Amino acid sequence: MRKHKKIHIPADLAQAILDHLDELGAGTIEEYVEAVLRSQLLRAGHISAYSQEEEEEVERRLRDLGYLD
Amino acid sequence: MRRLAVIGLDCADPVLLGELLPELPALRELAESGCFARLRSTDPPITIPAWMAMMTGKDPGQLGVYGFRNRRDHSYVGLRLTNSTAFADADPVWDTLGRHGVRSIILGVPGTFPPRPMAGVLVSGFLAPNTEATYTYPTSLAKRIEEWVGEYAFDVRQFRTNDKAWLFSQVREMTEKRFAVARRLVAEHEWGFFAMVEIGPDRIHHGMWAHYDPTHPRHDAASPYRDTLPEYYRFLDRQISDLLSELPGSTEILVVSDHGAQKMEGGLGINEWLIRNGYLALTDYPDAPTRIGDLIANGRVDWSKTTAWGEGGYYGRLFLNVVDREPRGIVPHQDYDATCSRLSDELAAVPDEAGASLNTQVHRPTEIYREVTGIPPDLIVYFGDLRWRSIGTIGWGRIHIHENDTGPDDANHSLYGIYISSTPGGNEDRHLLDIRREIIEYFGIEDPS
Repeated sequence: MRKHKKIHIPADLAQAILDHLDELGAGTIEEYVEAVLRSQLLRAGHISAYSQEEEEEVERRLRDLGYLD
Repeated sequence: MRRLAVIGLDCADPVLLGELLPELPALRELAESGCFARLRSTDPPITIPAWMAMMTGKDPGQLGVYGFRNRRDHSYVGLRLTNSTAFADADPVWDTLGRHGVRSIILGVPGTFPPRPMAGVLVSGFLAPNTEATYTYPTSLAKRIEEWVGEYAFDVRQFRTNDKAWLFSQVREMTEKRFAVARRLVAEHEWGFFAMVEIGPDRIHHGMWAHYDPTHPRHDAASPYRDTLPEYYRFLDRQISDLLSELPGSTEILVVSDHGAQKMEGGLGINEWLIRNGYLALTDYPDAPTRIGDLIANGRVDWSKTTAWGEGGYYGRLFLNVVDREPRGIVPHQDYDATCSRLSDELAAVPDEAGASLNTQVHRPTEIYREVTGIPPDLIVYFGDLRWRSIGTIGWGRIHIHENDTGPDDANHSLYGIYISSTPGGNEDRHLLDIRREIIEYFGIEDPS
Protein backbone atom coordinates (compact mmCIF):
# COMPACT_ATOMS: atom_id res chain seq x y z
CA MET A 1 0.00 0.00 0.00
CA ARG A 2 1.48 3.35 -1.03
CA LYS A 3 1.92 6.05 1.59
CA HIS A 4 0.06 9.30 0.91
CA LYS A 5 0.71 12.94 1.72
CA LYS A 6 -1.86 15.69 1.94
CA ILE A 7 -1.49 18.58 -0.48
CA HIS A 8 -3.78 21.53 -1.12
CA ILE A 9 -4.97 22.79 -4.47
CA PRO A 10 -7.00 25.95 -5.13
CA ALA A 11 -10.70 25.43 -4.47
CA ASP A 12 -11.76 26.65 -7.93
CA LEU A 13 -9.44 24.13 -9.57
CA ALA A 14 -10.78 21.33 -7.38
CA GLN A 15 -14.33 22.38 -8.26
CA ALA A 16 -13.54 22.38 -11.99
CA ILE A 17 -12.23 18.82 -11.72
CA LEU A 18 -15.26 17.76 -9.68
CA ASP A 19 -17.61 19.34 -12.24
CA HIS A 20 -16.00 17.34 -15.05
CA LEU A 21 -14.99 14.20 -13.21
CA ASP A 22 -17.08 11.93 -15.37
CA GLU A 23 -15.74 13.15 -18.69
CA LEU A 24 -12.21 13.12 -17.25
CA GLY A 25 -12.67 9.40 -16.68
CA ALA A 26 -11.87 9.47 -12.97
CA GLY A 27 -13.91 8.31 -10.01
CA THR A 28 -12.51 10.85 -7.55
CA ILE A 29 -10.57 14.09 -7.62
CA GLU A 30 -7.60 12.32 -6.00
CA GLU A 31 -7.52 9.69 -8.76
CA TYR A 32 -7.47 12.34 -11.45
CA VAL A 33 -4.82 14.52 -9.80
CA GLU A 34 -2.60 11.50 -9.13
CA ALA A 35 -2.87 10.28 -12.73
CA VAL A 36 -2.11 13.69 -14.21
CA LEU A 37 0.86 14.26 -11.91
CA ARG A 38 2.24 10.79 -12.58
CA SER A 39 1.87 11.26 -16.32
CA GLN A 40 3.57 14.69 -16.32
CA LEU A 41 6.43 13.57 -14.11
CA LEU A 42 7.00 10.54 -16.34
CA ARG A 43 7.12 12.69 -19.45
CA ALA A 44 9.59 15.02 -17.79
CA GLY A 45 11.74 12.06 -16.82
CA HIS A 46 11.45 12.81 -13.10
CA ILE A 47 10.02 9.38 -12.29
CA SER A 48 10.40 6.06 -14.10
CA ALA A 49 7.75 3.84 -15.63
CA TYR A 50 9.45 0.83 -14.07
CA SER A 51 11.57 0.19 -11.04
CA GLN A 52 14.90 -1.50 -11.80
CA GLU A 53 13.46 -4.87 -10.69
CA GLU A 54 10.31 -4.37 -12.78
CA GLU A 55 12.32 -3.45 -15.87
CA GLU A 56 14.49 -6.54 -15.47
CA GLU A 57 11.39 -8.67 -14.95
CA VAL A 58 9.68 -7.30 -18.09
CA GLU A 59 12.86 -7.71 -20.16
CA ARG A 60 13.20 -11.29 -18.92
CA ARG A 61 9.60 -11.91 -19.95
CA LEU A 62 10.18 -10.34 -23.39
CA ARG A 63 13.24 -12.55 -23.81
CA ASP A 64 11.17 -15.55 -22.78
CA LEU A 65 8.56 -14.55 -25.35
CA GLY A 66 11.17 -14.30 -28.10
CA TYR A 67 10.98 -10.55 -28.68
CA LEU A 68 14.51 -10.08 -27.35
CA ASP A 69 17.46 -12.38 -27.05
CA MET B 1 -25.09 7.43 -30.67
CA ARG B 2 -22.31 6.11 -32.91
CA ARG B 3 -20.22 3.25 -31.54
CA LEU B 4 -17.18 1.52 -32.93
CA ALA B 5 -15.54 -1.56 -31.42
CA VAL B 6 -12.05 -2.67 -32.45
CA ILE B 7 -11.21 -6.23 -31.44
CA GLY B 8 -7.49 -6.73 -31.85
CA LEU B 9 -6.12 -10.26 -32.18
CA ASP B 10 -2.35 -10.06 -31.84
CA CYS B 11 -0.61 -11.98 -34.64
CA ALA B 12 -3.84 -13.20 -36.33
CA ASP B 13 -2.80 -14.24 -39.81
CA PRO B 14 -4.98 -13.91 -42.93
CA VAL B 15 -3.95 -17.26 -44.45
CA LEU B 16 -4.46 -19.16 -41.21
CA LEU B 17 -7.75 -17.42 -40.50
CA GLY B 18 -8.94 -18.17 -44.02
CA GLU B 19 -8.28 -21.86 -43.34
CA LEU B 20 -10.06 -21.80 -39.99
CA LEU B 21 -12.97 -19.48 -40.87
CA PRO B 22 -15.45 -22.32 -41.66
CA GLU B 23 -15.10 -23.38 -38.00
CA LEU B 24 -15.51 -19.85 -36.59
CA PRO B 25 -19.15 -18.73 -36.89
CA ALA B 26 -18.82 -15.26 -35.33
CA LEU B 27 -15.83 -14.20 -37.40
CA ARG B 28 -17.23 -15.89 -40.53
CA GLU B 29 -20.52 -13.99 -40.17
CA LEU B 30 -18.62 -10.70 -39.88
CA ALA B 31 -16.37 -11.51 -42.83
CA GLU B 32 -19.26 -12.63 -45.05
CA SER B 33 -21.63 -9.78 -44.23
CA GLY B 34 -18.83 -7.20 -44.18
CA CYS B 35 -15.40 -7.77 -45.58
CA PHE B 36 -12.18 -9.68 -44.95
CA ALA B 37 -8.86 -8.40 -46.23
CA ARG B 38 -5.16 -8.38 -45.47
CA LEU B 39 -3.77 -5.55 -43.33
CA ARG B 40 -0.20 -4.47 -44.10
CA SER B 41 1.74 -4.12 -40.86
CA THR B 42 4.48 -1.69 -39.91
CA ASP B 43 8.18 -2.25 -40.47
CA PRO B 44 9.08 -4.07 -38.33
CA PRO B 45 5.88 -6.13 -37.98
CA ILE B 46 6.15 -6.41 -34.21
CA THR B 47 3.62 -5.84 -31.41
CA ILE B 48 5.58 -2.79 -30.25
CA PRO B 49 5.41 -0.49 -32.23
CA ALA B 50 2.62 -1.89 -34.46
CA TRP B 51 -0.45 -1.45 -32.22
CA MET B 52 0.44 2.10 -31.22
CA ALA B 53 1.28 2.92 -34.85
CA MET B 54 -2.26 1.78 -35.65
CA MET B 55 -3.76 3.90 -32.87
CA THR B 56 -1.73 7.03 -33.71
CA GLY B 57 -1.51 6.71 -37.51
CA LYS B 58 2.23 7.33 -37.25
CA ASP B 59 4.93 4.98 -38.46
CA PRO B 60 7.77 3.76 -36.21
CA GLY B 61 10.12 6.40 -37.60
CA GLN B 62 7.69 9.19 -36.75
CA LEU B 63 7.14 7.69 -33.31
CA GLY B 64 10.85 7.06 -32.76
CA VAL B 65 9.89 3.57 -31.54
CA TYR B 66 11.58 0.74 -33.42
CA GLY B 67 10.91 -2.14 -31.07
CA PHE B 68 10.29 -3.09 -27.46
CA ARG B 69 13.64 -1.55 -26.57
CA ASN B 70 15.14 1.53 -28.13
CA ARG B 71 18.47 3.30 -27.87
CA ARG B 72 18.17 6.25 -25.55
CA ASP B 73 21.63 7.47 -26.56
CA HIS B 74 24.58 6.33 -28.68
CA SER B 75 26.29 4.44 -25.90
CA TYR B 76 26.73 0.70 -26.38
CA VAL B 77 24.42 -0.20 -23.48
CA GLY B 78 21.65 2.34 -23.80
CA LEU B 79 18.66 0.18 -24.78
CA ARG B 80 15.57 1.03 -22.74
CA LEU B 81 12.06 -0.40 -22.61
CA THR B 82 9.36 1.55 -24.43
CA ASN B 83 6.51 2.87 -22.32
CA SER B 84 3.38 4.92 -22.92
CA THR B 85 5.15 8.27 -22.66
CA ALA B 86 6.77 7.49 -26.03
CA PHE B 87 3.32 7.90 -27.59
CA ALA B 88 2.06 10.82 -25.51
CA ASP B 89 2.76 13.43 -28.21
CA ALA B 90 1.48 11.20 -31.02
CA ASP B 91 -2.18 11.73 -30.10
CA PRO B 92 -3.57 8.19 -29.74
CA VAL B 93 -7.01 7.97 -31.29
CA TRP B 94 -8.77 7.88 -27.91
CA ASP B 95 -7.25 11.27 -27.01
CA THR B 96 -8.50 12.75 -30.29
CA LEU B 97 -11.96 11.27 -29.74
CA GLY B 98 -11.99 12.48 -26.14
CA ARG B 99 -11.50 16.06 -27.29
CA HIS B 100 -14.64 15.62 -29.38
CA GLY B 101 -16.74 14.24 -26.55
CA VAL B 102 -16.39 10.54 -27.42
CA ARG B 103 -15.56 8.37 -24.42
CA SER B 104 -13.40 5.29 -24.89
CA ILE B 105 -12.75 1.92 -23.32
CA ILE B 106 -9.18 0.72 -23.99
CA LEU B 107 -8.23 -2.79 -22.89
CA GLY B 108 -4.89 -4.51 -23.29
CA VAL B 109 -3.40 -2.37 -26.07
CA PRO B 110 0.39 -2.90 -25.97
CA GLY B 111 2.17 0.39 -25.36
CA THR B 112 -0.33 1.81 -22.87
CA PHE B 113 1.65 1.18 -19.68
CA PRO B 114 1.80 3.25 -17.52
CA PRO B 115 -1.79 4.40 -18.11
CA ARG B 116 -2.27 8.09 -18.91
CA PRO B 117 -5.40 10.08 -18.04
CA MET B 118 -7.97 9.94 -20.84
CA ALA B 119 -11.67 10.40 -21.47
CA GLY B 120 -12.80 6.95 -20.48
CA VAL B 121 -11.20 3.92 -18.92
CA LEU B 122 -7.98 2.10 -19.79
CA VAL B 123 -6.44 -1.22 -18.79
CA SER B 124 -2.76 -1.46 -19.78
CA GLY B 125 -1.36 -4.17 -22.01
CA PHE B 126 1.17 -6.89 -21.34
CA LEU B 127 4.14 -4.59 -20.67
CA ALA B 128 2.62 -3.84 -17.27
CA PRO B 129 5.00 -5.55 -14.84
CA ASN B 130 2.35 -6.97 -12.51
CA THR B 131 -0.98 -6.16 -10.91
CA GLU B 132 0.80 -4.42 -8.01
CA ALA B 133 1.69 -1.61 -10.42
CA THR B 134 -0.83 1.08 -11.34
CA TYR B 135 -2.12 -0.52 -14.55
CA THR B 136 -5.55 1.06 -14.99
CA TYR B 137 -7.03 4.49 -15.47
CA PRO B 138 -8.76 5.31 -13.27
CA THR B 139 -6.68 3.55 -10.61
CA SER B 140 -9.76 2.20 -8.83
CA LEU B 141 -10.70 0.16 -11.92
CA ALA B 142 -8.03 -2.41 -10.97
CA LYS B 143 -10.01 -3.30 -7.85
CA ARG B 144 -13.17 -3.80 -9.88
CA ILE B 145 -11.28 -6.08 -12.28
CA GLU B 146 -10.06 -8.16 -9.38
CA GLU B 147 -13.66 -8.50 -8.18
CA TRP B 148 -14.74 -9.62 -11.65
CA VAL B 149 -12.00 -12.12 -12.55
CA GLY B 150 -9.63 -12.49 -9.60
CA GLU B 151 -5.94 -12.07 -10.51
CA TYR B 152 -5.90 -10.38 -13.93
CA ALA B 153 -3.51 -11.92 -16.47
CA PHE B 154 -1.58 -9.57 -18.76
CA ASP B 155 0.25 -12.45 -20.37
CA VAL B 156 1.27 -16.07 -20.02
CA ARG B 157 4.06 -16.76 -17.59
CA GLN B 158 6.84 -19.24 -18.39
CA PHE B 159 5.80 -19.30 -22.01
CA ARG B 160 8.82 -21.24 -23.34
CA THR B 161 7.82 -24.73 -22.46
CA ASN B 162 7.36 -28.09 -24.06
CA ASP B 163 4.39 -28.71 -21.77
CA LYS B 164 1.87 -27.74 -24.43
CA ALA B 165 -1.20 -28.81 -22.45
CA TRP B 166 -0.20 -26.46 -19.64
CA LEU B 167 0.55 -23.66 -22.10
CA PHE B 168 -2.84 -24.05 -23.77
CA SER B 169 -4.69 -23.95 -20.45
CA GLN B 170 -2.80 -20.79 -19.44
CA VAL B 171 -3.52 -18.98 -22.70
CA ARG B 172 -7.14 -20.01 -22.58
CA GLU B 173 -7.56 -18.78 -19.00
CA MET B 174 -5.89 -15.48 -19.85
CA THR B 175 -8.15 -14.94 -22.88
CA GLU B 176 -11.24 -15.88 -20.92
CA LYS B 177 -10.43 -13.31 -18.24
CA ARG B 178 -9.73 -10.56 -20.75
CA PHE B 179 -13.03 -11.09 -22.55
CA ALA B 180 -14.87 -11.27 -19.21
CA VAL B 181 -13.37 -7.87 -18.35
CA ALA B 182 -14.32 -6.58 -21.81
CA ARG B 183 -17.95 -7.63 -21.34
CA ARG B 184 -18.15 -5.92 -17.95
CA LEU B 185 -16.53 -2.74 -19.24
CA VAL B 186 -18.87 -2.32 -22.21
CA ALA B 187 -21.88 -3.07 -20.00
CA GLU B 188 -20.96 -0.76 -17.12
CA HIS B 189 -19.28 2.23 -18.76
CA GLU B 190 -20.48 4.87 -21.15
CA TRP B 191 -18.54 4.63 -24.40
CA GLY B 192 -18.48 5.43 -28.09
CA PHE B 193 -15.13 3.81 -28.90
CA PHE B 194 -13.96 0.45 -27.60
CA ALA B 195 -10.61 -1.13 -28.43
CA MET B 196 -9.12 -4.28 -26.99
CA VAL B 197 -6.13 -6.45 -27.87
CA GLU B 198 -6.01 -10.14 -27.05
CA ILE B 199 -2.42 -11.37 -27.01
CA GLY B 200 -3.42 -15.06 -26.88
CA PRO B 201 -3.26 -15.80 -30.64
CA ASP B 202 0.38 -14.70 -30.73
CA ARG B 203 1.28 -16.98 -27.83
CA ILE B 204 -0.58 -19.91 -29.38
CA HIS B 205 1.14 -19.38 -32.74
CA HIS B 206 4.62 -19.30 -31.25
CA GLY B 207 3.88 -22.29 -29.04
CA MET B 208 1.79 -24.49 -31.32
CA TRP B 209 2.48 -23.71 -34.99
CA ALA B 210 4.66 -26.76 -35.62
CA HIS B 211 1.92 -29.03 -34.30
CA TYR B 212 -0.62 -27.50 -36.73
CA ASP B 213 1.36 -26.83 -39.91
CA PRO B 214 2.34 -30.03 -41.80
CA THR B 215 5.00 -28.08 -43.73
CA HIS B 216 6.78 -26.98 -40.54
CA PRO B 217 10.29 -28.51 -40.24
CA ARG B 218 9.44 -29.89 -36.79
CA HIS B 219 5.89 -31.03 -37.55
CA ASP B 220 4.93 -34.37 -36.05
CA ALA B 221 1.87 -35.86 -37.70
CA ALA B 222 1.25 -37.95 -34.61
CA SER B 223 1.35 -35.00 -32.21
CA PRO B 224 -1.54 -34.99 -29.73
CA TYR B 225 -1.60 -31.20 -30.13
CA ARG B 226 -2.37 -31.06 -33.86
CA ASP B 227 -5.81 -29.58 -33.17
CA THR B 228 -4.81 -27.29 -30.29
CA LEU B 229 -4.33 -24.21 -32.45
CA PRO B 230 -7.75 -24.57 -34.20
CA GLU B 231 -9.29 -25.40 -30.83
CA TYR B 232 -7.98 -22.14 -29.42
CA TYR B 233 -9.48 -20.23 -32.36
CA ARG B 234 -12.86 -21.93 -31.84
CA PHE B 235 -12.71 -20.90 -28.18
CA LEU B 236 -11.67 -17.37 -29.16
CA ASP B 237 -14.54 -17.16 -31.63
CA ARG B 238 -17.01 -18.02 -28.86
CA GLN B 239 -15.48 -15.30 -26.69
CA ILE B 240 -15.86 -12.80 -29.54
CA SER B 241 -19.45 -13.93 -30.09
CA ASP B 242 -20.27 -13.40 -26.40
CA LEU B 243 -18.73 -9.94 -26.49
CA LEU B 244 -20.57 -8.98 -29.67
CA SER B 245 -23.85 -10.01 -28.06
CA GLU B 246 -23.21 -7.39 -25.34
CA LEU B 247 -22.78 -4.56 -27.87
CA PRO B 248 -25.66 -2.47 -29.19
CA GLY B 249 -26.73 -3.81 -32.59
CA SER B 250 -25.69 -0.69 -34.46
CA THR B 251 -22.06 -0.93 -33.31
CA GLU B 252 -19.52 -0.92 -36.12
CA ILE B 253 -17.07 -3.80 -35.64
CA LEU B 254 -13.45 -4.04 -36.76
CA VAL B 255 -11.39 -7.16 -36.07
CA VAL B 256 -7.74 -6.49 -36.83
CA SER B 257 -4.26 -7.77 -36.09
CA ASP B 258 -0.90 -6.06 -35.82
CA HIS B 259 0.94 -8.59 -38.02
CA GLY B 260 0.60 -12.11 -39.30
CA ALA B 261 2.44 -15.33 -38.57
CA GLN B 262 4.33 -18.01 -40.46
CA LYS B 263 6.41 -21.05 -39.67
CA MET B 264 9.86 -20.37 -38.33
CA GLU B 265 12.47 -22.28 -40.32
CA GLY B 266 15.50 -21.43 -38.26
CA GLY B 267 17.69 -18.73 -36.85
CA LEU B 268 20.47 -16.69 -38.39
CA GLY B 269 23.25 -15.66 -36.04
CA ILE B 270 23.59 -11.99 -36.95
CA ASN B 271 26.60 -11.39 -34.71
CA GLU B 272 28.16 -14.73 -35.66
CA TRP B 273 27.95 -13.58 -39.28
CA LEU B 274 29.43 -10.17 -38.44
CA ILE B 275 32.37 -11.87 -36.65
CA ARG B 276 33.03 -14.25 -39.54
CA ASN B 277 33.03 -11.40 -42.01
CA GLY B 278 35.32 -9.13 -40.04
CA TYR B 279 32.75 -6.59 -38.91
CA LEU B 280 32.65 -7.47 -35.20
CA ALA B 281 35.62 -8.36 -32.99
CA LEU B 282 35.60 -9.87 -29.50
CA THR B 283 38.42 -10.03 -27.02
CA ASP B 284 37.60 -13.72 -26.57
CA TYR B 285 34.97 -15.93 -28.18
CA PRO B 286 32.52 -17.35 -25.59
CA ASP B 287 32.38 -21.07 -24.81
CA ALA B 288 28.57 -21.07 -24.75
CA PRO B 289 25.86 -18.91 -26.35
CA THR B 290 26.10 -15.53 -24.65
CA ARG B 291 24.00 -12.42 -25.15
CA ILE B 292 25.68 -9.57 -27.02
CA GLY B 293 24.47 -7.21 -24.27
CA ASP B 294 26.37 -9.23 -21.69
CA LEU B 295 29.51 -9.31 -23.85
CA ILE B 296 29.32 -5.53 -24.27
CA ALA B 297 28.67 -4.96 -20.56
CA ASN B 298 31.65 -7.18 -19.66
CA GLY B 299 34.05 -5.39 -22.01
CA ARG B 300 34.46 -8.36 -24.35
CA VAL B 301 33.80 -6.42 -27.58
CA ASP B 302 36.90 -4.92 -29.17
CA TRP B 303 35.40 -1.66 -30.40
CA SER B 304 38.65 -0.61 -32.08
CA LYS B 305 38.05 -3.39 -34.63
CA THR B 306 34.24 -3.40 -34.70
CA THR B 307 32.27 -1.90 -37.59
CA ALA B 308 28.82 -3.10 -36.49
CA TRP B 309 26.92 -5.19 -33.97
CA GLY B 310 23.45 -6.63 -34.03
CA GLU B 311 20.43 -7.32 -31.84
CA GLY B 312 18.33 -10.41 -32.25
CA GLY B 313 14.62 -11.11 -32.03
CA TYR B 314 12.02 -11.81 -34.69
CA TYR B 315 13.92 -9.40 -36.94
CA GLY B 316 17.49 -8.15 -36.91
CA ARG B 317 18.70 -4.71 -35.92
CA LEU B 318 22.15 -3.65 -36.88
CA PHE B 319 24.06 -0.72 -35.40
CA LEU B 320 27.17 0.82 -36.92
CA ASN B 321 30.09 1.94 -34.77
CA VAL B 322 30.45 5.46 -36.15
CA VAL B 323 33.23 7.95 -35.40
CA ASP B 324 32.06 10.77 -33.09
CA ARG B 325 28.68 9.10 -32.70
CA GLU B 326 29.44 5.94 -30.72
CA PRO B 327 31.95 6.28 -27.86
CA ARG B 328 34.70 4.36 -29.69
CA GLY B 329 33.43 4.58 -33.26
CA ILE B 330 35.63 3.54 -36.18
CA VAL B 331 33.38 4.04 -39.24
CA PRO B 332 34.16 7.50 -40.67
CA HIS B 333 31.08 9.61 -41.47
CA GLN B 334 32.06 9.77 -45.11
CA ASP B 335 32.03 5.95 -45.27
CA TYR B 336 28.67 5.54 -43.53
CA ASP B 337 26.48 5.17 -46.64
CA ALA B 338 28.93 2.88 -48.39
CA THR B 339 29.26 0.69 -45.27
CA CYS B 340 25.47 0.42 -44.95
CA SER B 341 25.21 -0.51 -48.63
CA ARG B 342 27.95 -3.12 -48.41
CA LEU B 343 26.47 -4.69 -45.27
CA SER B 344 22.99 -4.67 -46.83
CA ASP B 345 24.21 -6.42 -49.98
CA GLU B 346 26.25 -8.99 -48.09
CA LEU B 347 23.51 -9.77 -45.55
CA ALA B 348 20.93 -10.08 -48.33
CA ALA B 349 23.20 -12.62 -50.04
CA VAL B 350 23.61 -14.95 -47.03
CA PRO B 351 22.29 -18.34 -48.23
CA ASP B 352 20.73 -21.17 -46.26
CA GLU B 353 22.83 -24.21 -45.32
CA ALA B 354 22.25 -25.75 -48.75
CA GLY B 355 23.45 -22.63 -50.52
CA ALA B 356 20.00 -21.53 -51.68
CA SER B 357 18.84 -17.93 -51.43
CA LEU B 358 17.06 -17.03 -48.19
CA ASN B 359 15.39 -13.97 -49.73
CA THR B 360 16.57 -11.69 -46.95
CA GLN B 361 15.51 -8.05 -47.01
CA VAL B 362 17.57 -5.26 -45.48
CA HIS B 363 16.04 -1.81 -44.93
CA ARG B 364 17.47 1.56 -44.06
CA PRO B 365 15.13 3.58 -41.81
CA THR B 366 15.40 6.70 -43.97
CA GLU B 367 14.09 4.70 -46.93
CA ILE B 368 11.01 3.17 -45.26
CA TYR B 369 9.71 5.83 -42.85
CA ARG B 370 8.03 9.17 -43.50
CA GLU B 371 10.34 10.71 -40.93
CA VAL B 372 13.05 9.33 -38.65
CA THR B 373 13.10 10.42 -35.01
CA GLY B 374 14.81 9.07 -31.92
CA ILE B 375 17.77 6.76 -32.50
CA PRO B 376 16.90 4.16 -35.12
CA PRO B 377 18.93 1.06 -35.94
CA ASP B 378 21.17 1.71 -38.94
CA LEU B 379 19.79 -1.36 -40.71
CA ILE B 380 16.65 -3.46 -40.20
CA VAL B 381 17.03 -7.05 -41.38
CA TYR B 382 14.30 -9.59 -42.25
CA PHE B 383 16.15 -12.89 -42.62
CA GLY B 384 14.47 -15.19 -45.12
CA ASP B 385 11.34 -13.06 -45.44
CA LEU B 386 11.07 -13.34 -41.62
CA ARG B 387 10.97 -17.13 -41.77
CA TRP B 388 14.33 -17.02 -40.01
CA ARG B 389 14.76 -15.43 -36.63
CA SER B 390 17.68 -13.09 -35.93
CA ILE B 391 19.83 -14.62 -33.22
CA GLY B 392 22.01 -12.11 -31.43
CA THR B 393 23.73 -14.45 -29.00
CA ILE B 394 27.32 -15.49 -29.74
CA GLY B 395 29.03 -18.80 -29.03
CA TRP B 396 27.22 -21.15 -31.40
CA GLY B 397 30.23 -21.67 -33.63
CA ARG B 398 28.06 -21.36 -36.73
CA ILE B 399 25.68 -18.98 -38.50
CA HIS B 400 22.66 -21.18 -39.21
CA ILE B 401 21.08 -22.17 -35.94
CA HIS B 402 18.11 -24.45 -35.49
CA GLU B 403 18.06 -24.46 -31.71
CA ASN B 404 16.35 -21.39 -30.35
CA ASP B 405 18.41 -19.26 -28.02
CA THR B 406 15.36 -18.52 -25.88
CA GLY B 407 13.54 -21.88 -25.86
CA PRO B 408 10.94 -23.60 -28.06
CA ASP B 409 9.36 -21.30 -30.66
CA ASP B 410 7.49 -22.48 -33.76
CA ALA B 411 6.50 -19.28 -35.55
CA ASN B 412 7.79 -15.95 -36.69
CA HIS B 413 5.89 -12.84 -37.73
CA SER B 414 4.81 -11.90 -41.23
CA LEU B 415 4.02 -8.59 -42.84
CA TYR B 416 0.26 -8.99 -43.31
CA GLY B 417 -2.30 -9.21 -40.54
CA ILE B 418 -6.08 -9.33 -40.81
CA TYR B 419 -8.78 -6.74 -41.42
CA ILE B 420 -12.38 -7.80 -40.89
CA SER B 421 -15.06 -5.14 -40.91
CA SER B 422 -18.80 -5.37 -40.30
CA THR B 423 -19.16 -2.78 -43.07
CA PRO B 424 -19.19 -4.28 -46.56
CA GLY B 425 -16.16 -3.40 -48.64
CA GLY B 426 -13.71 -4.90 -51.06
CA ASN B 427 -11.05 -7.41 -50.15
CA GLU B 428 -8.16 -5.26 -51.35
CA ASP B 429 -5.23 -4.90 -48.93
CA ARG B 430 -5.50 -2.23 -46.24
CA HIS B 431 -2.70 -0.57 -44.30
CA LEU B 432 -2.42 -0.53 -40.52
CA LEU B 433 -1.54 3.17 -40.58
CA ASP B 434 -4.95 3.97 -42.12
CA ILE B 435 -6.99 2.46 -39.26
CA ARG B 436 -6.82 5.57 -37.12
CA ARG B 437 -8.21 7.72 -39.94
CA GLU B 438 -10.99 5.18 -40.50
CA ILE B 439 -11.95 5.40 -36.80
CA ILE B 440 -11.86 9.20 -36.73
CA GLU B 441 -13.92 9.47 -39.91
CA TYR B 442 -16.50 7.04 -38.55
CA PHE B 443 -17.19 9.58 -35.80
CA GLY B 444 -17.38 12.41 -38.34
CA ILE B 445 -14.22 14.07 -37.06
CA GLU B 446 -11.64 15.62 -39.31
CA ASP B 447 -8.32 14.00 -38.46
CA PRO B 448 -6.02 16.72 -37.16
CA SER B 449 -2.97 14.65 -38.12
